[in-house]
Amino acid sequence: MSAELRRARSRQMVIFLLGCGGMVILLGRLYYWQVWLSGPLTLLANSEHIQNQILSAPRGLIYDAEGHLLATNVVRDDVYITPLQFSSDFADNYPAELSTEVHALHQVLPSVSEDQLNQDFGLSLQAVRVAQQINPGQSQRLRDLHLPDTFLEPQTWRIYPGGDLASQIIGYTQGDKGIYGIEAKYNTILAGKAGSFTAETDLSGNPLTVGVSSKQDPVKGTDLTLTVDSFMQYFVQSALQNAVIQLEATSGTVIVLDSHSGAVVAMTGYPTFDPNHYSDFADKKGCVGSEDVYLNPALFCDYEPGSTMKSVTMAAALEQHVITPDTSINDPGYLNFSDGTPTVHNWDDESYGKETMTQVLQHSANVGAATVASWLGPDRFYPYLQRFGFGQPIGLFNPEDSGGYRTNTSVGWTKSDLTRQAFGQSMTASPLQMARAYQAIANGGVMMQPYILASTNDNGHIVTMKPQMLRRVISTDTAKTLTSMLVSTAEYNDISLPNYSLAIKTGTATTQGLSMDQTEASVAGFLPASNPQFVILVKIDRPQKTIYGGTAAGPLWKAIAQQLVLHYSIPADQQVGTQ
Amino acid sequence: MYSLKAQTMASSKVTSKSAMPSLGVLPAQRRRHIRPFSFHIGPVALCIVCVLLISLMAVLYLSQVGQVVTANHQLQDIRNEQAALERQNQDLVDTVAQEQSPAYIVGQVQKMGLKPVDSKNLWILQVPHLQEIDKSNQSIQP
Repeated sequence: MSAELRRARSRQMVIFLLGCGGMVILLGRLYYWQVWLSGPLTLLANSEHIQNQILSAPRGLIYDAEGHLLATNVVRDDVYITPLQFSSDFADNYPAELSTEVHALHQVLPSVSEDQLNQDFGLSLQAVRVAQQINPGQSQRLRDLHLPDTFLEPQTWRIYPGGDLASQIIGYTQGDKGIYGIEAKYNTILAGKAGSFTAETDLSGNPLTVGVSSKQDPVKGTDLTLTVDSFMQYFVQSALQNAVIQLEATSGTVIVLDSHSGAVVAMTGYPTFDPNHYSDFADKKGCVGSEDVYLNPALFCDYEPGSTMKSVTMAAALEQHVITPDTSINDPGYLNFSDGTPTVHNWDDESYGKETMTQVLQHSANVGAATVASWLGPDRFYPYLQRFGFGQPIGLFNPEDSGGYRTNTSVGWTKSDLTRQAFGQSMTASPLQMARAYQAIANGGVMMQPYILASTNDNGHIVTMKPQMLRRVISTDTAKTLTSMLVSTAEYNDISLPNYSLAIKTGTATTQGLSMDQTEASVAGFLPASNPQFVILVKIDRPQKTIYGGTAAGPLWKAIAQQLVLHYSIPADQQVGTQ
Repeated sequence: MYSLKAQTMASSKVTSKSAMPSLGVLPAQRRRHIRPFSFHIGPVALCIVCVLLISLMAVLYLSQVGQVVTANHQLQDIRNEQAALERQNQDLVDTVAQEQSPAYIVGQVQKMGLKPVDSKNLWILQVPHLQEIDKSNQSIQP
């Protein structure tokens, strides 16, 4: 073989090898794309034309007892602009187009300034949200304008049509999660179950009927109906607000219960908040300025109940036949104890002399209540505090403060605790616990579990809640006797309603460490006394104009009672015109 | 293909005349029963027919796909319309709820210049032994 031929062969071989090498590189590259990166690239390709959507479930609605909506859902648009796209679309005439666009947007969204819009368009971002939750009219105007590089993104929002109506009962939502109140307690059933949708889409992202698709429908959340009556709730809220402002108090609480079932008819605190704009109330405080305004003070704001507790002391003594309404004591205005227990004084330091048990309630005499407690002794007093549910959570919803008291088995207990607890000091209770105690008296001695959820509707499957009896606290006879004593107390305190008998007890509690004029004035009771329909508890915190239960909380109690009589057409239980 | 196979079979039958009787000697009625659509077709014609059939099927398929795409667009429009109507419905429900709320009613009542009733002038009386009015009785209708 000649040298020239060998060179030619060598060249051929080199070319062949280069060709082979090229083929190997191509095959390797092909392997890299087709095999090695197959998984991620397939996903990427599928994501271009296959749409996976989470279908959010509509949150369940909340109704009041009359079927009025308290919480619902609406779709509102957020407005987005695409600054980078806009600058590339109008590169030739950017300033003029920007000015036109900004002006048009500002016309529709006056709350967004032109300066702000100019600033947003100057950002190097793919998309910027310029407005949130715009109203339907604004959405339509923006759609009609067909503005370039501006788009609307629909979002579902929780709306409370009544504004602050029953807000401390309902709570609010953040995203899909309920915060406080009913929204929090029943979040699981209200939220429903999200669905999913997978389908091939066209260039615009619209799902195609042809091709593979799968859909799992979302399950709508359960609708809830509450026992709350919107009308009474509104009246109570407005009246409480007026009373707190008028009395220059710091806060207040009102509870209205159905005396037979324990259903909550109205329950409110002041100050309160609007759940549609809950973030505006972040720095507001309720419950004597100590707790967030979002918390329900009826459950979370415990206090020393003061003289409203005397009814419970009397109930315990009547039930155990320690006293009768006519049992009398000598009340010099103070009570000394031989065992070193600190002296108890009447709230007004008044000496009433000989007075019956009914008069003890009428005068709200601390000496009388302390005497009865000392007659009972701890072994016969504390079981009744327990029966009446003090110190025990009610479980209506969280958070809840169940209050507490020392008993003769507690560390540091003294007889002073016993005598002071008899008139509502040296112990704490939530307003709802106190209202529940009066519900038991009004209901012939049978305590019902307070409840606020009347029924649930899970996509047509309706479950109605039944009133739940907790226990018999006192006998029917004791309840009747005590009721007649409370009727006398109402008459003595001049809290009356023409032709209706009322059973009430006032309370004026002071707090240790504070001056005596910083009180929590309250009235608890029920009406009509002969056939109780409703229990009302009114509590005003730190009133300045007048500090006593009868004068600060009494007028509001009476106004609510009057409204209940009218609203529910409660027939008079006394002869018309006789009172 | 059917006719070609039939021809092959026919020629093989001639060589084994002793084993089986020729088709030619079968009665016409029985021949029709065995091959009811017996006809001859050449390969070119067969190809043309196949191409035509495939073309026809393609046209039919494309037509179907076109209809499906059109239906898809219609379905999409209907879904969009449904979403818009649901949204309107939610807005209307919200509006009704707002206008039924006590705060709104009180505001409207105050605008109309009405004042709350004086509860002292109202009496609620319970009349015993009341019977429900028979609404079907025309004579007592107002």
